[in-house]
Amino acid sequence: MRLRFKLKTVFILYFTVSLLGLIYALMHLGKLHSLQGHTKKEPTKPHLPTIYVITPTYARLVQKAELTRLSQTFLHVPQLHWIVVEDSSQRTDLVSHFLEHSGLVFTHLHIPTPQDRKLQEGDPNWLKPRGVEQRNEGLRWLRENIWAGETAEGVVYFADDDNTYSLQLFEEMRWTQRVSVWPVGLVGGMRYEGPVVEQGRVVRFHTGWRPSRPFPLDMAGFATSLRLVLRNPEARFDGNSPMGFVESSFLQGLVTMEELEPKAEMCTKVLVWHTRTEKPKMKREEALQAQGLGSDSKVEV
Amino acid sequence: MVEMPKRRDILAIVLIVLPWTLLITVWHQSAITPLLTIRKACHHLVKEIFIIPERLAARRHRLADDGAEGRHETGQGSDSKEYCSSDKDIVEVVRTEYVYTRPPPWSDVLPTIHVVTPTYSRPVQKAELTRLANTFLHVPNLHWILVEDAQRRTPLVSRLLRETGLNYTHLNVETPRNYKLRGDARDPRIPRGTMQRNLALRWLRETFSPNSTQPGIVYFADDDNTYSLELFEEMRSTRKVSVWPVAFVGGLRYESPKVNAAGKVYGWKTVFDPHRPFAIDMAGFAVNLRLILYKPQAYFKLRGVKGGYQESSLLRELVTLNDLEPKAANCTKILVWHTRTEKPVLVNEGKKGFTDPNVEI
Repeated sequence: MRLRFKLKTVFILYFTVSLLGLIYALMHLGKLHSLQGHTKKEPTKPHLPTIYVITPTYARLVQKAELTRLSQTFLHVPQLHWIVVEDSSQRTDLVSHFLEHSGLVFTHLHIPTPQDRKLQEGDPNWLKPRGVEQRNEGLRWLRENIWAGETAEGVVYFADDDNTYSLQLFEEMRWTQRVSVWPVGLVGGMRYEGPVVEQGRVVRFHTGWRPSRPFPLDMAGFATSLRLVLRNPEARFDGNSPMGFVESSFLQGLVTMEELEPKAEMCTKVLVWHTRTEKPKMKREEALQAQGLGSDSKVEV
Repeated sequence: MVEMPKRRDILAIVLIVLPWTLLITVWHQSAITPLLTIRKACHHLVKEIFIIPERLAARRHRLADDGAEGRHETGQGSDSKEYCSSDKDIVEVVRTEYVYTRPPPWSDVLPTIHVVTPTYSRPVQKAELTRLANTFLHVPNLHWILVEDAQRRTPLVSRLLRETGLNYTHLNVETPRNYKLRGDARDPRIPRGTMQRNLALRWLRETFSPNSTQPGIVYFADDDNTYSLELFEEMRSTRKVSVWPVAFVGGLRYESPKVNAAGKVYGWKTVFDPHRPFAIDMAGFAVNLRLILYKPQAYFKLRGVKGGYQESSLLRELVTLNDLEPKAANCTKILVWHTRTEKPVLVNEGKKGFTDPNVEI
């Protein structure tokens, strides 16, 4: 009797321990299969530094197309973490489904632009800076979720969803120590705009518009090291800054011109272009919709 | 008395073994989920596609070492395809490793997609071709036929094509200029890209014989549109001519063929002249190479073509409405967008040019 009693206890103990272990393992696996893509703690990467790409986006006709071709570029870049921030009060289905099926490592955020900062219909696109709140939200997420340890290796790049990026660009920016810079094509009313490098240092900027700005760069023309972003929690984009000064509002506290790291063969090659996509003409669609015969809205475009 | 302990023992053994078998099964499953969806019949094809070079194999090892973290990372850049030549249906398998091999290894069994892209020099050309190449680098067995509207093949395009690593053919033909008009305008009577597309058709007919066993599909892709990767897999199974909806054409959210319950195309859902023989955009159809070779007289009509009738001028020589194969879930999904890129404003260049002309954009 006594022997049996002992065995029973042992068995029950064993069974409970196994069950608990199994439940723990299942939960652990369940977390991994989660499609939210949130990383609580970025483990130390002994290999390539991660490129955190922050892309503000907003709903319009060409949004899905832009995100599609952007993701096709990003899929070629190893160790890339895409942070998509929607200009919206909630996550839209279109972007959620898109990101889930993109095959990329992503984080899906959202923050609406306050009404007074939004461009109204008919406003020229340079009137108010766009994407400021969204980029700041991306920075906030990084600061809250990425472990700021000694080995925090990574670089932060602000990539708008309508530009064109070559694959070489990402390899140029990957090893940024502070802030690296390069030329951007088709911006500033010129073929390209960019830093001028002499003896390996940036001495001035080649730009057609207001060269007196502290950093007359386009958003796509620089990348910041993750370490710098995490160590300067106050650094963010200022939506109230005058036109063309948004980039400067972020970079001013972070780095001086002498500290900039020139890339793209001493800033002589154009590896990114500030392309813009036309708004598709919807005259016939609008006419049809007025008659109640618009195209099937269930079909996602 | 003997019965009771036996049953108890068995029960005990089962309860001991159960958690461990469950654990092992679940771990095993999660580790090989990507491969589970492959159908047995296509196993021999899978071998063709998953040729993984050494450095990738090494990377796989590292991921396995990372354990839990590795799981998360395989999510990145995942896209693998699987093909069954038996039933022409494409099964999409999630997860890949070969995204870091650009382009994917060539397969002897997949039909080749010959993508014909006319292009011309303008400031956004290199950008457009760059992002197009980034798209094409994901598509297995893609052959890019880039035809420049130029007197000579430009170094910009030659270099770009070479550096992508894609399988390509670089052609050129210049649309005759109308010297009577002021400036360097091209002949307005010839729609843009027509001569270039026709040259590609001629090249295909000169290069491939109708008896050739390698199947192929011909697709006309303009350099400013946006293509999903799924589109290329849809068109790969084209027998004659396949069609699908295109977004942002004809002043609508999208134009689409009308498909009846039997899966046959019977009309066109467009506002602009829906009575055209083929009221479809250039990006909305693909033709089997065999059909192109069997009908060597079929070309895009050069002159006297009304706006919107370009596509019809070729297609009516190749197929009838009845032969069209609807793709994209019976023409209910958008897999290609007729995006157009704004012309960049280069006001600050001035008359003499402000930037260094040696810097290529």
